[in-house]
Amino acid sequence: MTTLALYSNKGGVGKTSAAVNLSYLAAQAGAKTLICDLDPQSSATYYFRVKPKLKFGAKGFIKGGAQINKSIKGTDYENLDLLPADFTLRNLDAVFGKFKRPKERLSKILKPLKSEYDLVILDCPVTISILAENIFNAVEFILVPLIPTTLSVRTYKQLLSFCRKNKYDAGKIYAFFSMVDGRKKMHKELMAMMLKEFNGVLRSLIPYLSQIERMGIEREPVAAFAPGSVASKAYQNLWSKFQEAAFANPSI
Amino acid sequence: MHDHLKFSLPNDYNQQQLTGALADHYVIKKERPVLKRTAIYDTFDWRLFNKSFILYTSENKLFLRKLFKNTIIHSAVITSPPCFLWDFPDSELKERLSPVLKMRALLKLIELHSRLTAHRILNQDEKTVTRLVYEEIRPVRGKNAPVLATYLWLQPVKGYTKDYQNITKHLEETGFTALKKEDIYFKAMEAAGKSPGSYSSKLKIQLDPAMRSDEATKIILRYLLQIMKINEANLENDLDTEFLHDFRVATRRTRSALGQIKSVFPKNIASRFKKEFAFVGKLSNQLRDLDVYLLKEDAFKAILPPVLRDDIDPLFDYLRKNRSKALQNVIRSLKYKKYAQIMQNWESFLDEPVQDPPPASNANVPIINLARKRIYKQYRRIVKDGSRILENTEDEKLHALRIECKKLRYLMEFFSSLFPRKKISMLIAQLKTLQDNLGDFNDLCVQEIYLLNIAEDLPATHRKSKKAQVAIGSLIGTLDREKQIIKDAFAKTFTDYASSSNKRVFSELFASKQKETVP
Repeated sequence: MTTLALYSNKGGVGKTSAAVNLSYLAAQAGAKTLICDLDPQSSATYYFRVKPKLKFGAKGFIKGGAQINKSIKGTDYENLDLLPADFTLRNLDAVFGKFKRPKERLSKILKPLKSEYDLVILDCPVTISILAENIFNAVEFILVPLIPTTLSVRTYKQLLSFCRKNKYDAGKIYAFFSMVDGRKKMHKELMAMMLKEFNGVLRSLIPYLSQIERMGIEREPVAAFAPGSVASKAYQNLWSKFQEAAFANPSI
Repeated sequence: MHDHLKFSLPNDYNQQQLTGALADHYVIKKERPVLKRTAIYDTFDWRLFNKSFILYTSENKLFLRKLFKNTIIHSAVITSPPCFLWDFPDSELKERLSPVLKMRALLKLIELHSRLTAHRILNQDEKTVTRLVYEEIRPVRGKNAPVLATYLWLQPVKGYTKDYQNITKHLEETGFTALKKEDIYFKAMEAAGKSPGSYSSKLKIQLDPAMRSDEATKIILRYLLQIMKINEANLENDLDTEFLHDFRVATRRTRSALGQIKSVFPKNIASRFKKEFAFVGKLSNQLRDLDVYLLKEDAFKAILPPVLRDDIDPLFDYLRKNRSKALQNVIRSLKYKKYAQIMQNWESFLDEPVQDPPPASNANVPIINLARKRIYKQYRRIVKDGSRILENTEDEKLHALRIECKKLRYLMEFFSSLFPRKKISMLIAQLKTLQDNLGDFNDLCVQEIYLLNIAEDLPATHRKSKKAQVAIGSLIGTLDREKQIIKDAFAKTFTDYASSSNKRVFSELFASKQKETVP
């Protein structure tokens, strides 16, 4: 099983759109895929038309195993299941704190899913607390959407230095450009700078497109309701660029 | 495809009826029909069917399920149509089928064309909670082709069990019945003109105990002739090695029957056909040898040290080249007039009615008596010979014992229908354990000599051949050690076989009951 987190310590950067579309594309390619919506705002869950409710709330989530399995819902697409979000997940940090080895709790929760899925994608809320550390410990790859703005670059640097300080392997972090406006000179310049200065930045960008925003109306991945669109192709390109970078052999 | 429920349709059913009926209760979204092609596979001798397995392909995947079950046990992605197990991708599916298929080729039995129309059942969020799939299955492509079967599938979506149960209930109330004991497999086979399980190399002969011995023997021999004919017809296609193997075993059994079921036919006839079938057997000796070594390619490589593994390739290339020549020779020889004459004479002899007065001393003895006598005598001979070997284990004596065991095995199989099934199967299984030991020993002896000889035949011109010689040497070394281990195991295997409890069963089943049964 491959585990991948769509993560950012900055909000509104396109995590959920990427998580939803990449999981859809992976499932279409034949990988048995689970998308876990860890964000109490439950946007990914909404996109898949599932009710944002875990059978046993955050407590059940923490226990993992059968309780998690009972909450998993099949999406409308072959090979793709969803673990819905739940509003009680907002307290996840506090609940993790009550356990022994609180930073490895999420790894434990995900472990029983290994035999069932080829790929697990986590859609994460904005965090750099104990939940973030749980995520870093639990997954093989972290994919960070970057809007090419100075603030975004700044938070990315913060993330890298956080990893350095806390001895997390920054090698598993990959970034891609998100919500890019091709007309803005600054976007272009910052992208060129980032590609030069940082390792793990993928040569792939998701443009700022109204089609992607339409996902809220269609309640489907853009790759599903507009498979030939620019947006869909951008996500396809991102998925293959990520696989090329992460695996010698581009298939999960 | 887990937990899918299959429903049969009422005779006057049409699709509008269903969607109309459901639309009162649910929001339904009909999707565009999808065409799906599947192909069902099995070996010539129905190995999968005999284990209740259904193996089929759909697009680039191979699926395994059990007969009457919809659950897929294993699936695997394939790049070419399945033929031999060793071409399968490494997968659980391969592991599962490996002991079943072994070296037999898979044949495509039929192609099915499905037209699937899915209806998504939606909740108020317009989320799909169940799928109803209407499937029309045809043996030929095209909308106008006759329909083999139509089904309605109810497919659950994970996490929406309640909706699934509701719809199941609703369908049942509307007059649909869930199909449990039905499988498209049988209709498909019928459409393909095939009857599952119709061929087996195993002897399934039903004899009447009171039957005249010459008549019973002819029944056995006719059965063997059928097996020979069926396999002979397929030899030329060379789909796998087992057509020849089954052909040869049937030939050997024929010869053994002529020798072991004594004095049921006039002496000159029995000995003439024995000789002629020896000739038939010899025609394919070389080809069978080559098949055996080529089948062992992976096993031989596995016992070589890794550094030598590729070095042995020239040997197998050489054997492969020889094999295609040998195959041509066999095909040609089976077209000889002499072969055709033998088979024709044999068939007309078997078709002749039994003669009165009986032409040989055992001809009109009830078969049960002769079977008992022959089996018991052969068994005692083996016990006597084997016990002598225990004192002094010579290779030649082991080989001789192997042949005697084979004769007994054939006798027991010819006549198994005359004895209680459980007991005779148990005795055959025990004999098989002994035969395996002796057979393995013999194989290793023969292989050693064969490899030594072939090493001399290999063209010794280039460097590769020299390396191959080294590899062959190493192989012989390993085989020799293995041979010793198997030889050492003989004593225990034989003692188990000749145990007093076993003796008791033998005497109970086969010893001197002639007086009671002779009329």
